[in-house]
Amino acid sequence: MTGNAAAEDLLREFAPQVLGVLMRRYAGLDSCEDAVQEALLAAATQWPATGLPDNPRAWLLTVATRRLADILRSESARREREDAVHVATPPAVLVGADAWLADAGTAGARDSDDTLTLLFLCCHPVITPSSQVALTLRAVGGLTTAEIARAFVVPEATMAQRISRAKQQIRAAGARFTPPDAADRDRRLRSVQQVLYLIFNEGYVASAGAALQRTDLSAEGIRLARLLRRLLPDDAESAGLLALMLLTDARRAARVAPDGALVPLVEQDRARWDRALAAEGAGLVASTLATTSALGPYQLQAAIAAVHVEAASVADTDWAEILALYELLARVSPGPLVSLGKAVAVAMVHGPAAGLAATDQLADVLAWHHRFHAVRGHLLEMSGDTASAADAYRMAARYATNTAEKRYLDRQSRQVRGQ
Amino acid sequence: MKYMLIIYGNQELWSSIDPADYAREIAAFDAFNKKYYNSGELLGAYGVADAAATKLVRLADGQPAVTDGPYLETKEYLASWFLLDVEDEERALAIAADVPSAKYRPVEVWPVLHEASRETGVDIGVA
Repeated sequence: MTGNAAAEDLLREFAPQVLGVLMRRYAGLDSCEDAVQEALLAAATQWPATGLPDNPRAWLLTVATRRLADILRSESARREREDAVHVATPPAVLVGADAWLADAGTAGARDSDDTLTLLFLCCHPVITPSSQVALTLRAVGGLTTAEIARAFVVPEATMAQRISRAKQQIRAAGARFTPPDAADRDRRLRSVQQVLYLIFNEGYVASAGAALQRTDLSAEGIRLARLLRRLLPDDAESAGLLALMLLTDARRAARVAPDGALVPLVEQDRARWDRALAAEGAGLVASTLATTSALGPYQLQAAIAAVHVEAASVADTDWAEILALYELLARVSPGPLVSLGKAVAVAMVHGPAAGLAATDQLADVLAWHHRFHAVRGHLLEMSGDTASAADAYRMAARYATNTAEKRYLDRQSRQVRGQ
Repeated sequence: MKYMLIIYGNQELWSSIDPADYAREIAAFDAFNKKYYNSGELLGAYGVADAAATKLVRLADGQPAVTDGPYLETKEYLASWFLLDVEDEERALAIAADVPSAKYRPVEVWPVLHEASRETGVDIGVA
């Protein structure tokens, strides 16, 4: 690892901790977050030249505190100009900074609590999921606005606007830097998990060779899921979420053809699966399922993914086990896409006619969804009805909203027709 | 997810708007643009010149041949487009309904599927 990469890892690790310290002192997510972001940028430009400071965390905390003092001073100066009401700079900013730098070296339990509280705040229900994602990447992930904008292929000004609006909305909702109530905690934790999964998926779904920066989003999703698992070692769904990401990521290299088209599970070269990631994910899901008291959708999806990675081929796959897991999943987290996944397992266990029958009742809700038609195409192909299969694949390609998937489905439609 | 909103129109439609209302319509579009730039959902808003200004370029025997566009006689032609980046289709449809001209003419809403990377020029998925 180069010195720069090591420094960057440190910065990213300390970002939420330093923000946590500022937040506990001064609340105000918007000002504190801006101050930390400026400290991170200062470190990124100065450290390569000066070398790592002796205590990088204390360095960041000092610089962020000074920046926060500047921000609060200029804000109060602006308020004075605007309405001639004198608002003093909070005195706590001017004193005290040195005093609590003493705690800078001693990380530990409080940092963990802070980071978790920060995750809850960034995934606040008053902002949209895509804003939750952007804010989490910046405040907890320590990414710059420019990096986040590049990853989502929008102008930096747009992303800056989205993040600052999200912070304003959280402030307007009266959110404080405290963990959610016990009554609310499960629901809020589910949105944190969903945001981390969105980050991972954003990097995973787009996949063509050009989209390297998006691959980094998958790595970031995994890094944050590892962080969440460290913060909540007893939470089974957080473990399930990490396992699901690892098992999905293990198949990445085999998932895209050189021309950028998607390679479906059936056709993937299993030798190209990442065995280390797969083993870590499968081990994690096995130990979690052995002790879980709250079976949830991430654990079950991870369990399904584990059955796939443990099979030597499609034919060797334990489809009965997958069907049983889908039945559990449909009970824990019912939805048309789960039913669609289950229909594939039904077809593999009981034959394509049974699978097709299971998809019939989904036509009303999923007729606009490319996956519905792709699954129908696959099952029709299995049953030997190639003409209908080609039509279904073509329909799927028309509804697909991802380039790689669209290319794959177009190819399938032409191939089946040519048989 | 990115969407393109497209508005069509023609000279007859523009001419039918009272000059006093016209200023109000322009102000309504400015307010619309400001509102969605501020929400971080509008990536760009563009208006094109009159159809009379349109040119067509063809490559004939390797040489570009430029002619006037054929759009003068067409009933409706491209007027403006907006590029959005929003949470889902529902949101894109809601913003389309908020386009000030939606009360005169329908607004087309197209999901954007392809986008070339600024760095490599290679196609990337944007969904």
